Amino acid sequence: MANKGLVPPGLAYLADNINTKHNLLGAGKGAGSKWAKDMQLPRDAETVFFAGCGYQYSSDLESLMSLMRRMDKGGVSDMAMGVAGFQKKLGIDAAGIYRKMMGGRGGEDGGEVLRDAVKVLRKLGLSFGYLGDEEPCCGGILHYMGLEEDFTRHAREVRSQLKSHKVSMIVGIVPSCTYTMRNLVAKVAPDAGLEVKHFSQIVAEKVPSLSLKFPTSAKMTYHDPCQLVRFMGIVEEPRTILRAIQGIEFVEPEWATREWATCCGGGGGFEAVFPEMSEILASNRARELADTGADIIVTQCPGCIMQIKTGLKNIKADKVEVLDLAQVVARAMGV
Amino acid sequence: MSVFSDYKKEIMDAAHNDRIRLALTRGIKSYRGNVNEAMKRFPHTIKMAEEVREIKSNAIADMENLAQKACESFEYNKAKAYIARTVDDALGILDKLVGAGKLIVKGKSMTGEEVELREHLEHKGNEVFETDLGEFIIQKLGSPPMHILSPAIHVPKEDVAELFSKLTGEKLPSDDIARMVAVARKLLREKYFLADVGMSGANVVAADTGTMFLIENEGNIRLATGAPPIHIALIGMEKLVPTLSDAYKVSEVTWRYANYTVPSYVSLVSAPSKTGDIEKTTTFGAHGPKELHVIFLDGGRTELAKDPILRQALYCLRCGGCLYECPVFAVTAGHFGDKYFAGCGMVWAGMVSHKPEKAAALAYTCLTCGRCKVRCPMQIDTPAMCVELRRSLVDKD
Repeated sequence: MANKGLVPPGLAYLADNINTKHNLLGAGKGAGSKWAKDMQLPRDAETVFFAGCGYQYSSDLESLMSLMRRMDKGGVSDMAMGVAGFQKKLGIDAAGIYRKMMGGRGGEDGGEVLRDAVKVLRKLGLSFGYLGDEEPCCGGILHYMGLEEDFTRHAREVRSQLKSHKVSMIVGIVPSCTYTMRNLVAKVAPDAGLEVKHFSQIVAEKVPSLSLKFPTSAKMTYHDPCQLVRFMGIVEEPRTILRAIQGIEFVEPEWATREWATCCGGGGGFEAVFPEMSEILASNRARELADTGADIIVTQCPGCIMQIKTGLKNIKADKVEVLDLAQVVARAMGV
Repeated sequence: MSVFSDYKKEIMDAAHNDRIRLALTRGIKSYRGNVNEAMKRFPHTIKMAEEVREIKSNAIADMENLAQKACESFEYNKAKAYIARTVDDALGILDKLVGAGKLIVKGKSMTGEEVELREHLEHKGNEVFETDLGEFIIQKLGSPPMHILSPAIHVPKEDVAELFSKLTGEKLPSDDIARMVAVARKLLREKYFLADVGMSGANVVAADTGTMFLIENEGNIRLATGAPPIHIALIGMEKLVPTLSDAYKVSEVTWRYANYTVPSYVSLVSAPSKTGDIEKTTTFGAHGPKELHVIFLDGGRTELAKDPILRQALYCLRCGGCLYECPVFAVTAGHFGDKYFAGCGMVWAGMVSHKPEKAAALAYTCLTCGRCKVRCPMQIDTPAMCVELRRSLVDKD
C-alpha cells in the first residue's frame, strides 16, 4: 500500500542526499568540518560536540532555500519534477552553487556559531572533542519524512559510528539533531551508555558561578525553537542565561513565547515542500518578535535563524540582529 | 494535475488572500482573549480535561459496545436508533426516513460535512436550510466550511454585508454586524415551523441513558430540533461515552476550550416529545418532535481506533482550539484540511476517507511544531500522528 511517490519532491531530494551522501546537502566528505580547522579539537574523546548539518552547511542551505523559493514563486510546476530535475531543465546547478560557496568561505555564519559554542564550552571547563568529517548526519529528517525504515538503518549506523569512537556523551547545538540523537536514535538503536545534552543545558548549569557582561547594552528577545521548547522542554535554560548577562534588557513577545512560541515556518521539512508559504510564516514570526522592540533576537537553531532573518527582511526590519545564544554568551564571556 | 499540485495551488491562493488573513487575525486574537478569560474564571477546567482524556481514551477502545448500549437506551426511550457501518449505509437509512420533496432545517454538524449531508439531501430533491449563521453564510457563498466551530471564520464582515445585501436587495453597511444577524434571523424564522424534518449532530452522547448533548449559542439547534415533527441526529461513534456524568464533563471541557465560560444553550435530547397529561395516556409529539431517530456512524472509526498512534484523532472534542494555534491555519484557514482540518483532518483524510494522496499532501503541510498539542484539552500529539501518518503512507512495510 505504501507509496514512496507520495513524498513531496523537495523532501525526496534531501532524503536522497542523506541516504547517498550522508549529509543533508549531498556535499562531499569533509566539507562540513572546515569551521573547526583551527580549533584544535581532538577527534577521540568521551564527550563530543555534535555540530550538525544545519550550522555546518548553513550558507549552502541558505542558497538552496533561496533557489527553491525562486522556483516556487516562479510557479515552476510546483517542483513536481524534483529539485534536481528542475536544475537540469533550467540549466541551474544548485549543487554547483553551494559547492562553490563551500569551496570559498563556506558556512561562515554557521561556522562562527559553532566556534563560539566551542569556546564557551571550553571556558566552562568542559573537556570534549569533535568527530570532524566522521560526524554522521543524525538522519532526523528521514524520520520526519516518514521514511522510518531508512531512518532506522541510518540510526544503527550512527550508533555504531559513535560506539567505534567510544563516545559516551554528546553535546548538541542544533535542536533537531539533539532531539534526534537523544530521543529518536535512542528509540530505534538504544545505547544505555550514551547521554545527550543540549548546549544551553550545560551553560545554564554553570551560570550562577559566572560573571557575564555583554559588551554593549542591548535589548534582546528570545525565540524558542519548537524542538527545544515543546519536544525537549528546554524553556528556562536560555532565559536563565540571558537574564544572568549584564547589559541585556530581556523582553518577551506578548503572547507567543515559551510553549506558545510560534514556529518560524521552517519545521519538519516544510520549507522544502512549501518554500513560499514558509517565507510568509517567517515574516509572521519575525513581526511578533520585532514588535517587542528588541535590537537582537536570540534563538538556538540554524533553521530558525535563517527563517527569522528572511522574515525581518520582508517586514523591512533588517536592522534587528539575529544571533544564536552561543554567540551572545561568547561575547558576554569575551572569548 | 496531481492531487498534490491542485492542493498546493489551493493553499497558496489562500495564503495570498488578504481577506482570509484579515478574518483569521481577528478571530485568533479574540479566541485567545476569550479562552484565557474563561480559564481564569473556571480554573478547574484543566484538571477536568485530564479526566475527560481518560474517559475518551477508554470510550474509544469500547466504541462498539457503547454504540450497542446507546441504541438500546434510545430504543427504551421510544426513539429509533441505528448503527451505520459506512457512509452509504447512513445515507440509506436517512433516505428511508426523509424521502424527497421535504423541507429540512439543519444544525451545524461536522459529521454531516463528512457524509456531505446537505448535498445528498438536496440531490434527493429536498430543500435544506443551514441554520447556524456561519454555515448559512457559507451555504449562500457556496464555500466549504473553514473551521469546525466557526465555519465562516475566513469571511470578514465586509464580505458578509455584501452577501446579505445581495440576498435581501437592500444595502447593508459593512460595520453593522447586528443588522446582518437580524437578516439571517428573519430569513430563517418561518423555516423552522414549516420544516418537515430537523437535523442535528451531537457533541457527546451518554450511552447509559441514551442522551445526546447539543451545545450552542445561537439557539438555532433548539429550534431546528424542537419545532419540526421529526428530529434526525447523525452522530459519529467517537462521540459516545459511558454515562451521563461523563457526557457532562466532556461537554464542559468542550465549550470551555471552545472559548466559552458557558454556552447560551445546552440541550439534552433523549426521547421524542411526549405528554401524559390527558388521562395519563402517553402520547408522542406534544410540542416537540413526534419522532426521534439517532444514527450512529462508524465509517472507519472502529478501524481507526485500532491504530495505537492515529486513534488519538478520535479523542478530538471538536473545540477547535488547535486551529487557532496552527501557523499554517492562520494563513490558509480550512484549505489546510479535507473534511476536518489540520492535525485530525489529515488523519481523517487518510484513515476514514481513504484518500492517500490528499492525506499525504496534508501530512506534509504540517510543521510538526506542536503548538496545537499545547492547546489541546486531550493533549492530542499531532506531530506524532503526522509522522506516523506519513510513515504509513510512504514507508516500505
